[in-house]
Amino acid sequence: MSHLPILPILIPMLAGILLLLPPLRTTLTRQRIASLVSAGINLLVAVVLLNQSATGEVAVYAVGDWHPPYGIVLIADRLSALMLLLTAILLFAALLYASAGEDETGRFFYPLMMFQALGINGAFLTGDLFNLFVFFEILLIASYSLLIHGGGKHKTRAAVHYVFLNLVGSAIFLFALGVVYGSIGSLNMADMALRVRELSGAELELAKVGGLLLLVVFGLKAAMLPLQFWLPRTYATAPGPVVALFAILTKVGIYCMMRVHGMIFGDYAGDIADLIQPWLWATAILTIAIGAIGALSSPSLKRLAGHLVIVSVGTLLSALAINTPAAISAALYYAAHSTLAGAALFLVSELISEQRGGALDMIVRSRPVAQPVALGITFFITALALIGMPPFSGFIGKLMVMQSATTMMQMSSTWPTLLIATLFALVAFSRAGSTLFWRATGKNSDNIKVSSTKYAAIWLLLLAAPLMSLFAGPIVEFTAATAAQLDQFAQTPEILLNGGNR
Amino acid sequence: MEMLVALAIGILTASGTFLTLRGRTFPVVLGLTLLAYAVNLFIFSSGRLVIDGAAVLQQGLPVPDPLPQALVLTAIVIGFAMTAFAVILSMRARADLGNDHVDGSIRSQQNDGDQR
Amino acid sequence: MLYWIPLLTLLGTLLPLATRNWSRTACAWSTAILPAVALILVVIQSPAVFQGNTLVEHYPWVTQLGLEIAFRLDGYALLFIFLILGIGLLIILYARYYLSEQDDMGRFYAYLILFMTAMLGIVMSENLLQLWAFWELTSISSFLLISFWSHKTDARKGARMALTVTGMGGLALLAGILLLGDTLGTFNLTEILARGDEIRASGRYPIILILILIGAFTKSAQFPFHFWLPHAMAAPTPVSAYLHSATMVKAGIFLVGRLYPSLSGTDLWFFLVTSTGTATLLVGAYIALFKHDLKGLLAFSTISHLGLIMLLFGLNSDLAAVAAVFHIINHATFKASLFMAAGIIDHETGSRDMRKLNGLWRYMPHTASLAIVAALAMAGVPLLNGFLSKEMFFNETVHQSSLGALSWMLPVLATVGATFSVAYSARFIHDVFFNGEPINLPRTPHEPPRYMKIPVEILVGVCILVGMAPAWVVGDLLNNASSALLQGDLPEYSLSLWHGFNIPLMMSITALILGLVIYNIRERLFAFQAKFADRDAKLEFERLVQLTVEAANNLYARLETNRLQNYVLTLFIFTLAVTAWPLMQIAETTGDREQLPPDWIAFGGILTLSLAAIMTLVWHRKRVIALISVSVVGLIVALIFARFSAPDLALTQLAVEVVTIILLMLALFFLPQSTPKESSPGVVFRDLGISIMVGGVMATLAFAMMTRPLETISDFFTANAKTGGGGTNIVNVILVDFRGFDTLGEITVLGIAGLGIYKLIRRMRLSLPTADSSGRAWSSDTHPMMLAMVSQALLPLALLVSAYIFLRGHNLPGGGFIAGLITAIALIQQYIANGVFFMKGKLRLDYQYLIGWGLLIAVATGLASWMFDRPFLTSWFDYLNWPVVGKFEVASAMVFDLGVYLTVVGATLLILSNLGKLSTTERPTEGENI
Repeated sequence: MSHLPILPILIPMLAGILLLLPPLRTTLTRQRIASLVSAGINLLVAVVLLNQSATGEVAVYAVGDWHPPYGIVLIADRLSALMLLLTAILLFAALLYASAGEDETGRFFYPLMMFQALGINGAFLTGDLFNLFVFFEILLIASYSLLIHGGGKHKTRAAVHYVFLNLVGSAIFLFALGVVYGSIGSLNMADMALRVRELSGAELELAKVGGLLLLVVFGLKAAMLPLQFWLPRTYATAPGPVVALFAILTKVGIYCMMRVHGMIFGDYAGDIADLIQPWLWATAILTIAIGAIGALSSPSLKRLAGHLVIVSVGTLLSALAINTPAAISAALYYAAHSTLAGAALFLVSELISEQRGGALDMIVRSRPVAQPVALGITFFITALALIGMPPFSGFIGKLMVMQSATTMMQMSSTWPTLLIATLFALVAFSRAGSTLFWRATGKNSDNIKVSSTKYAAIWLLLLAAPLMSLFAGPIVEFTAATAAQLDQFAQTPEILLNGGNR
Repeated sequence: MEMLVALAIGILTASGTFLTLRGRTFPVVLGLTLLAYAVNLFIFSSGRLVIDGAAVLQQGLPVPDPLPQALVLTAIVIGFAMTAFAVILSMRARADLGNDHVDGSIRSQQNDGDQR
Repeated sequence: MLYWIPLLTLLGTLLPLATRNWSRTACAWSTAILPAVALILVVIQSPAVFQGNTLVEHYPWVTQLGLEIAFRLDGYALLFIFLILGIGLLIILYARYYLSEQDDMGRFYAYLILFMTAMLGIVMSENLLQLWAFWELTSISSFLLISFWSHKTDARKGARMALTVTGMGGLALLAGILLLGDTLGTFNLTEILARGDEIRASGRYPIILILILIGAFTKSAQFPFHFWLPHAMAAPTPVSAYLHSATMVKAGIFLVGRLYPSLSGTDLWFFLVTSTGTATLLVGAYIALFKHDLKGLLAFSTISHLGLIMLLFGLNSDLAAVAAVFHIINHATFKASLFMAAGIIDHETGSRDMRKLNGLWRYMPHTASLAIVAALAMAGVPLLNGFLSKEMFFNETVHQSSLGALSWMLPVLATVGATFSVAYSARFIHDVFFNGEPINLPRTPHEPPRYMKIPVEILVGVCILVGMAPAWVVGDLLNNASSALLQGDLPEYSLSLWHGFNIPLMMSITALILGLVIYNIRERLFAFQAKFADRDAKLEFERLVQLTVEAANNLYARLETNRLQNYVLTLFIFTLAVTAWPLMQIAETTGDREQLPPDWIAFGGILTLSLAAIMTLVWHRKRVIALISVSVVGLIVALIFARFSAPDLALTQLAVEVVTIILLMLALFFLPQSTPKESSPGVVFRDLGISIMVGGVMATLAFAMMTRPLETISDFFTANAKTGGGGTNIVNVILVDFRGFDTLGEITVLGIAGLGIYKLIRRMRLSLPTADSSGRAWSSDTHPMMLAMVSQALLPLALLVSAYIFLRGHNLPGGGFIAGLITAIALIQQYIANGVFFMKGKLRLDYQYLIGWGLLIAVATGLASWMFDRPFLTSWFDYLNWPVVGKFEVASAMVFDLGVYLTVVGATLLILSNLGKLSTTERPTEGENI
């Protein structure tokens, strides 16, 4: 039988474990090579999975050979494959960037990055709600440990906020699981989707409470208003490559809303259908707004990047609120774009702050950067992509989201918000860029050696901007098919209970 | 009996919540611990209550729903790991920032140390 | 092969970068090659177009979005392509001599050609979304061009202003286009042009029109969006000459003309376009007169002429549209040459201030004569092209009657505008080239290099030729462009110079005379104008942006307090908000499941628990007491588990309890012993309220659940525990078998926590308190003898117990986790009793290896099942007859449990022992960071 679906979990896990043991843990070089190799294999597997899923095949992997709904299943469908690929790219780029020095500033860097990836991949694969919680905890504890990597006041302060807030979040997650199990009586998502349709009366209301508690949990992860305030500061303090990998974390929240709420509390869930959409409308618009405002008021480039993450989350939420296959398809494209471009921006700002001495990435007059041309071009393209300017991927993504709004009500609520947010991003970036690169005083005295590895890592991510735009046709075909597949699962969850093959 | 357990859960949750809203790390950690207890009881109760049930397979005894118990076990372990991390983190914060306030400074909104 | 035209220029952006280090001339030539080739291509195509055909090419891009690569070449596009490429080539030549040695010529040319590409894209787009893409590209590339001298503040600010204003317009345009496409179901121009009536009929027409016009007006610097254009003059003059004569600002005009058949013909159109055009015409012409800066004057005259063209389009008359097209050509030619002339003057005299520049005729007669001719064309003097289009314009204003009885106003206003344009043209000529001697100029003026004048000569030549023999020179081009624009047959019109003595001629003459009069009394006008403070749009705009940013800052600062307490509070409030509504829907909280009878033991237990919890609350400032009461709570919880037939939970809870308390005790040794009183009564009250509500919600949920029957998947586990999992302890079988994957994850969490905590503890610098808060000294007797003896005696026993617990785990309460904790506790006790040095001697274990091995064993157990072609973690068990022990079960699950055991021991000890070390001289120090 094919063990492909579980590989994205096992590869980083084994890599992480082996990196803790001799012979790998003894020297830094071995750690670098080993982790890059395993990240490469992980990427390869992700590509294979994507190809497999593109044929419409859905691999359902029953861990321990206990079949659903009793055992834990992994589901490798189009959606999971797409998210896994994104994670794999981020991981590889982040490790590549880190191998140029970030990894020396603390212990266990590579194992922790691997465990982080393990948690994320698991969350994208599992078809079991409690198992999802376990993987959430894995990715959380790993992110806690990575956040303080390198040490320093700022990191510790940010970590206290991030950790304590998320611990409360985990508690709420468990409450939610209790309610959901206590009212639906199963943990397998597909099985729950079937059972929830039979519910009525108090049980139904209890299930609703469970579903909405889950919205709180996923919303916290996705940085959805009013649960987004922690993000910019936290991301601004964490080490560059770590944040580059974190770029996928908010999308984990979004993914869970698509998977869990889309299937269990989705269009076909009878009396409980479209449980979260009423909440999403308001939060989506407000999330975009607060993100745009924050972007305009950002004192540093990394903060700006953080707020743009929030804007992208809001954009995705608005697509989820519209909740048609077209909208979901748009959300998937936009998620892919914003993840890669966002990660790139974090790395770029890291590079910039390395070259401006004390000014770091603060948007103030300072000495010029060491490599105005190379860095300038990189920054410029990243900015265009993130603002949503043609000819880069952001432009296509924005078009898709805007076009997925069909009714006048949807248009009148999403379009102005999106466009004004775009304008704010444009202003913010033009101010930041012209200050960082042009409002320079004096000469850049110390000659900084910037390893080409870092640029390689950034461009690995940044290439997506032109490529995703150039090959938008086939990509959109894929995302559309993905949305259709999700809709099909929501309609007939049985597919996932008997082996996934129609 | 159910009423009593529900009451216990309620009180634990309430006191846990209150403590997590405090401004110093140690009470917050205690609050998280209490919340963890509450959560464990809660999940446990989602499998309904059974008295004198069979701990292990035996004839003739009522079997309590084992799944929530397993879930609680996992939750306890994870909770332990998280609490441990939180405790050490608050010690590290005290060491790095010189106080044990959750914001790292007694009046964080004024002298917001990190502009980054 | 149409796509080659923009593609060639796009590739052309690379050449100058490649040749930037060659000689300046070589760089210029290599830049010119590809645009020239593109121009030739167009010329090859043009005959077909002149026969009235429209060439269209489609290539799929994102068909799902109606977005495709589609190019279109008709008369209207052809006219603009000639302007863009023709004038572009002249600019390249001109810039070669204008740019100084310091300027990075390669970069400049690259930006210029990029901009050229964008413009070509706009005028050749068949697909509106594609048109928008190129539209934004012009904004971006013009930003780069205007800010070319990025060390100058003016350049940076001017560029940002242009980008912001045109960018804003661009977004409005996008909305308009999307709405238009959504209405018609297509973004293809051909179809959109054909279905104008549908658009005008649809209810969305007003929104669509306004949005699209905002886009066009911002781009073409129409009032009130005109303010960005003068500040774009911070750019090098070649850029101004290109952007503000033939290209950038003409893009808006182009769009209005392009969509003329589908959007025009309504009163709304007339009102919006005509009024905006008129306002722009007058404002521009008036201000231009008062600009002392040469380029400033030209900038405002550009604005005014753009207004004139816009006005013509607004008149809803085909003939007016023709006039508009004609004026587009003429304005492009004379304005480009004027900018270049101004550039030459600036270049050779070092100043652009008309109060200093006087009498240059003597120093540079050749340039002067060229500039004068161009200026006369601008003024609309007969025998020059400006005159002709202006005549047509007058004629149109006279022969429209849309304003009913007030229709006479337009011609009057038109004459006023013309008058001022005569006045400022007169000033341009007289002030600069005559009117006395130059006043302390930086350099003594002289003629520029020969080749720098060629572009100007060519353009001025065109002005004269068109002026002399219009029909012969531009007749066909104009006809084609106009008919392509109108998408229909042309109205009757003649390009002849002489239409007899008619009203338009009178208007021209009046304008000329009055204009000269105004110029003569200019000093008085200047004095009058000087009374009003001259508002600098740049400052205004900067202030606006600043205000917005500050508003954003304040608002954000108010929302984002950077305080954890607020974050957590928000989290809880949000939780309450979402859960409230469904809970209110539950009619009857109590379900129909039979409840268990309460008994006194339980009652007492719950009572103690509640008391302990509340004690923790009340005394949470006295931390030791709080800790103790928390541990009490933990114990009771364990008892509750035991009471409701969950011994495994009870055991685990107990074990975890012990370790946690040890941990907290150690932590308390370093943390303050008491919490200061900080929260105000109000805050406490608020928090209490929220907490009670949260608690209430959870209690209600629990009660509502417990009192209702539930059909779950658990029966399966009960049924298969023994047969499928080989164990009678269902819970344990679930943990290591049915849901072993969860357990694997759980111990991974534990392991990672160990690593993370190790990271935290390293480099932690804590001052060792010698006494607690109330001054009592800590006992110096670190390792009491008694404890040491006892614990050493206990150690083997403890290990034995854990072994037993471990083995029986599968069938009776117990298992790897509990066993692991017991072992860990036993070892920790040794630490406490005997200290770190002693243990270092005794215990040679690297705990992170232990974690590693534990996890590895667990994963390996899972992988083993692959050999039997089973999924990961598939369990296997059998019963063997062992010599002594007798019948004994062997299960893969037990190996897995061993992994659990090792990880737990490793993680727990890694945490506690390192934490313990902190209190001794054995602190971890800086070292290798692998």
